[in-house]
Amino acid sequence: MKGSIRRLLVSGVTVGALAAGTLAVLPAATAGAASSSAVATWAEAPQTPPNYIFPFMGLQYFSVSNINNFQFLMYRPLYWFGNGSTPNLNPSLSLANNPTYSNGSKTVTINLKNYKWSNGEKLTSQNVMFWMNMLHAQKDNWADYSQGIGIPDDLKSITVNSPTKLTFQLSAPVNANWFTYNELSQITPMPNAWDKTSDAGAAGSGGCSAAAYGMANTQCTAVYTYLSKASGFDPANPKGANNSLTTYATNPLWQVVDGPFHLTKFDASGNVTMAPNKSYSGPIKPTVSQFVEVPFTSDSSEFNALVGNKLSVGYLPSANVTTGTTNAYKAGPNNSRLSGNYNLAPLYTWSINYFPYNFQSTGNGGTAGKIFSQLYFRQAFQTLVDQPLYIQKIDKGYGIPTYGPVPVYPSNSYASSTEKSNPYPYNTGKAKSLLSSHGWKVVPGGSSYCENPGTSKNQCGKGIPKGTKLSFNLEYATGGTALAQQMNAEKSSWAQAGINVTLSGATFNTVLGNAVPCTAGQSCNWELENWGGGWVFAPDYYPTGEAIFQTGAGSNSGSYSDVKNDANIVATTQKSVPLTTYENYLAQQLPVVYQPNPATSLTEIKKNVKGVTPQSPLYSINPENWRF
Amino acid sequence: MLGYIIRRIIQAIIVILGVSLIVFLLSQLIPGGQARAALGPKATPLQIAHFNRLNGYNQPLWVQYWHYILSIIKGDLGYSYKNNQGVTALILNRLPKTLVLVGSSTILALIIAIPLGMAQAVRRNQAFDYVMTGVSFFLYAIPAFLIGELLIIWFSFDLNWFPSQPPTSASPWAIITDPRAFVLPVFSLAALTIAAFSRYMRSSVLDTLGEDYIRTAKAKGASPRRVLYGHAFRNALLPILTLIGLSLPAIVGGALIVETVFNYPGMGLLTVQAAANDDVPLVLGTTLVATAATVLGSLLADVLYAAADPRIRLGGD
Repeated sequence: MKGSIRRLLVSGVTVGALAAGTLAVLPAATAGAASSSAVATWAEAPQTPPNYIFPFMGLQYFSVSNINNFQFLMYRPLYWFGNGSTPNLNPSLSLANNPTYSNGSKTVTINLKNYKWSNGEKLTSQNVMFWMNMLHAQKDNWADYSQGIGIPDDLKSITVNSPTKLTFQLSAPVNANWFTYNELSQITPMPNAWDKTSDAGAAGSGGCSAAAYGMANTQCTAVYTYLSKASGFDPANPKGANNSLTTYATNPLWQVVDGPFHLTKFDASGNVTMAPNKSYSGPIKPTVSQFVEVPFTSDSSEFNALVGNKLSVGYLPSANVTTGTTNAYKAGPNNSRLSGNYNLAPLYTWSINYFPYNFQSTGNGGTAGKIFSQLYFRQAFQTLVDQPLYIQKIDKGYGIPTYGPVPVYPSNSYASSTEKSNPYPYNTGKAKSLLSSHGWKVVPGGSSYCENPGTSKNQCGKGIPKGTKLSFNLEYATGGTALAQQMNAEKSSWAQAGINVTLSGATFNTVLGNAVPCTAGQSCNWELENWGGGWVFAPDYYPTGEAIFQTGAGSNSGSYSDVKNDANIVATTQKSVPLTTYENYLAQQLPVVYQPNPATSLTEIKKNVKGVTPQSPLYSINPENWRF
Repeated sequence: MLGYIIRRIIQAIIVILGVSLIVFLLSQLIPGGQARAALGPKATPLQIAHFNRLNGYNQPLWVQYWHYILSIIKGDLGYSYKNNQGVTALILNRLPKTLVLVGSSTILALIIAIPLGMAQAVRRNQAFDYVMTGVSFFLYAIPAFLIGELLIIWFSFDLNWFPSQPPTSASPWAIITDPRAFVLPVFSLAALTIAAFSRYMRSSVLDTLGEDYIRTAKAKGASPRRVLYGHAFRNALLPILTLIGLSLPAIVGGALIVETVFNYPGMGLLTVQAAANDDVPLVLGTTLVATAATVLGSLLADVLYAAADPRIRLGGD
């Protein structure tokens, strides 16, 4: 026994000594030496390497890593959005002058600028027609297609007036802002070199680009199939794998670009190398010799690369934010391991954060949906969400509140003063009062219950029987500590008014899969689902709500339905009215639970790199602006 | 022996088919279905219906499964939308990297752990044994990510001896052409395995040294060296052989933590990613590979055991 105790002690002392040595050494670690070169290296987000090169793609490939951080560097959209730190149209980087609207906003005229493809050909109306014809033929395979809304469904005809001028005839008047920001924003001109159906085919032999609008569906389908296969997806055999991914940098197709870069290396792990396009016609030419995108398996490995001074531009993982900021728009002190070599710059994207109520929910004994349908309840629920506090304590100051359907930051001309002023500031007393004045017995820390059922103003509301408790289930996406902390904080807050919320965690995909609009005749008992991401307005940059708040919209997860709101939305897309009426109404009506919107990225910029800021709130990167 | 191996292979095929069926059926329980998982939050009902039609997800389950089995027979494990690559290609890309990384660390661990365990057993209850027991406990207890991070801080950031991560574009054989880049990840993995294997080896040698035949050998005047290497070593190795065989699934399955910390995308990360993304074809593919490795590892352990111990005969031979 003595021997055993002695062994244990010796082992323990050894472990202790090693642990002490470990702790003693930890603070001593410092960053490696800096080295500057004209090769710009940029950190990809973990485990999301680009993997699709053809800009005409289905929703499965429609991602920031594929579009904004990859394709846009080579193939420019007709209209570029993101002007400085605003989400506005950027005339300077667009391939065409601002569209002009006439004939009661039923005719749109587009005049192209003097751009060239890297093979020397001019960018012409035919390149725009190529896209539009493909859209006409393959609208179901276009990621941003919405049946009956926008292009191509509301397009009557397109006339090519000249090599640099096109006219779109629409079937009904449109709001010019909406059409430019949400519809024309989707168009990416494609080179004639892509208009073929085989590797050996001549440029233009596919017959899709030169045809009149909508008159070449068969040809365009064949071209679409060829180009999709060259990008890795075979529409004729969607489950078959052709692994074209590995040929991106060597296939001559993809070398014809109109953007500032062309691809020189690409592998399936996400290592991307681009070189400047010497023929780039845009206003700012790249000066870096190479632009390299570096894949990472995790935030920690990206952070290690930053500490090792291996990146020109990266990001500070939230776990490594040591000191917060007092001003969300400005960076606080950088992580001490990085402050010698990097400057910090927060990035907020053009988005709102929220999670839906399920207005059709049969949960809580069949009453959940009915309770959510009561505006007073939603007001009480929202009043207990202390967004500024969560931003300060959980997001360390790097967050923007969401008070309505339009982002209040980045600075923009759409957010109204009503929305910015926070219609429902945190107020526990107000929340309790709202409930008690509508027939509820408030039980702080327990479950408030309906003691005065009925449909009068001072009663609980339609379909809510006496004794019904305010008890709900909320499922949220796990994986990040911030969201879990926030959900627990909100749960405690709701409990103060006797709203008992049971939290459960699930993967992002599970939450997303559950948060779908209910269909008639099917059980639908989810109550509250929070995937943690709200909604990003891209490539529908004009923040109207037809995709998320209109009755029956595909992404209207909670089946919110309000006649006045529907009319407001229709007005914002079809008439020249400002967003104010629409947004003020939804800021007041609370169709969802508005949540704080954390910074998308805390960008780390090497001190010898200029031109990275201001960052685009639309995720795009412009390494052609970077200067060493 | 041959008959035994054939029987085990047939069993393996049945097990693999069974596992594939279970995983396939479980995949049908994904909330929102595969379409929602692939298309994300902006998918409209129309797009989901189109995706399901295109991929045959609107067909009866048994038809889908039958098509899947036919594809497997052809060597095609399906297509991962999330990666825009064939599952077979993805696995063939990641598996060699993982085999090299985890295989190297396992070999290194064995090279160190076997003599270490023997030395501890021989010097039982002496200072060396205590110190090495302490080190083993320490390595065993410390989380893999912490070992990795500490090694990076010490040997990459502070001393600048080794890179903090191998290049992600490196081929599996870069461990030969650029060995410095692999020192830290291999040692991180080996540290844990050394701790485990050395404890097993120490215990096994101690058990063996207490056997009657060892006492007999000593009584007959055999030298301590001959007793240890001639009589005890081979028998003490038997549990380690079993461990090696059962390590095969881990070698194939990858080392998630080390892959994550050292930015080395291997099978571990691929498997976890597949599950997190509800990437059903990839989940099925990685599960099949892991199942095959488990079955093969078990078979390997049995065969090695029989080869090392003449008293054991497989298959009733």
